[in-house]
Amino acid sequence: MGIPMANRKTSWDSMIYLDNAATTWPKPAAVRGAVQQAMTIYGANPGRSGHSMGLAASEAVYRCREALAEFFHLENPANVVFVQNCTMALNIVLKGLLKDGGRIVVSDLEHNAVMRPLHALSPASPVYDVAVVTPGDIPATVSAFERCITPETRGIVCMHASNVFGTRLPIREIGAMAHRHHLPFVVDGAQSAGLFPIDMQKDSIDFLCIPGHKGLYGPMGIGALLCNSDRALPSFVEGGTGSQSLELLQPEELPDHLESGTLNTLGICGLKAGLDFVRAQGQEELLYRETRMMASFYDCLANIPGVELYTPRPSVETSAPVLSVNLAGRRSEEVAQALSQRGIACRAGLHCAPSAHRHFGTLETGTVRFAPSAFTTKAELERVCRAVWAESSPGRQIPGA
Amino acid sequence: MNKVVFNVSSVTNAMRGKTLLERNGIRAYVGRTVDAGGNNGCGYSITVPAGEERAEQLLVSAGIRIRSKQREPA
Repeated sequence: MGIPMANRKTSWDSMIYLDNAATTWPKPAAVRGAVQQAMTIYGANPGRSGHSMGLAASEAVYRCREALAEFFHLENPANVVFVQNCTMALNIVLKGLLKDGGRIVVSDLEHNAVMRPLHALSPASPVYDVAVVTPGDIPATVSAFERCITPETRGIVCMHASNVFGTRLPIREIGAMAHRHHLPFVVDGAQSAGLFPIDMQKDSIDFLCIPGHKGLYGPMGIGALLCNSDRALPSFVEGGTGSQSLELLQPEELPDHLESGTLNTLGICGLKAGLDFVRAQGQEELLYRETRMMASFYDCLANIPGVELYTPRPSVETSAPVLSVNLAGRRSEEVAQALSQRGIACRAGLHCAPSAHRHFGTLETGTVRFAPSAFTTKAELERVCRAVWAESSPGRQIPGA
Repeated sequence: MNKVVFNVSSVTNAMRGKTLLERNGIRAYVGRTVDAGGNNGCGYSITVPAGEERAEQLLVSAGIRIRSKQREPA
């Protein structure tokens, strides 16, 4: 069973929301409460003043840093840098690693959050080398990354799981290989943070980029960059930090080095509550529950004539609970629109990841993507399956209806 | 008996230091420090009413840089 309905009372109650790979919804009641509470009791600017409310806000911010550091096995909470989203974190790292030139190795499934910053650095001549992922084959995938390394390589960057097809990358093995070559390893945890276990020490991750609003159930507009490396990144935005104000130079210590301007206290407090929610539910329990549901959903879809599936049956070893499909002869946007009219929220198109579509041969069509959350129920997925059947085979009897 | 005030580089390090000290049984408070006459401008401090030596050891061993310290009447 999903989370109690009392947690999700809204005007969208009859909608089945499966667009959780874009952002999780609904947010847990505790997250909504934390954001509202922050507006009331943490209304002062954190890290700027010495009065009681300012210090209380600073402490609330620090508690979130501490919780994230513990959750991702980062020793020093000061190395948790708050940013507005995962994309910003990736921009800071990519442009920092390549500030003096060089190249980056990426997978062929990357999101535009990685590919566009790299393209912007050198539009005429790519500064990246692409490793082809072999889904489910760890040695082949690691070997593909290793073959891309040249004397110009400055780091290895990869997503933990594909936002389109759910394909899980073997980050522990890739990280170990990166460190054997003395290269920093950067992980885009957009689809995995809060769902898959991530241990920055054991996974050899130097920089972990995460959104707060997906698997960690925080509000939109908050993310984090977790730094586990002696390599100092250049500041990305300079400005006030509430520290060392006489100096025109940006403070060198983290997080101030990478955190200029007023922080998003509401987002940070919401993120902390979201993380607490994940811990209370159990990360592993959430992962297995969602994967089981998606495996059943996959089985159901596989029996519908005209449904095109691109990946094997979901399993925690090889995939995140994200499923992309198409209906034969119909455009993905058209299918998603038809499902929307049936009260089902899902996303169609390229999902900001043309590389992944090139890999799976869906660049021309895009896909219809379904992604559950802690709040999704088996009954909802069964309803979606019936709706897909109805769209796929208009006029035909739906089995079990 | 004097209390000691450790000036640190940021509010994050002040909070981190306070947390560390309290987990080791040492009372600590975070406050704002304005050191405009010095060379580091605004910052934050950790005030420790008792246990200065052990507190300093803990902060240094955790990599929290103490920019300066002063003693004040308790």
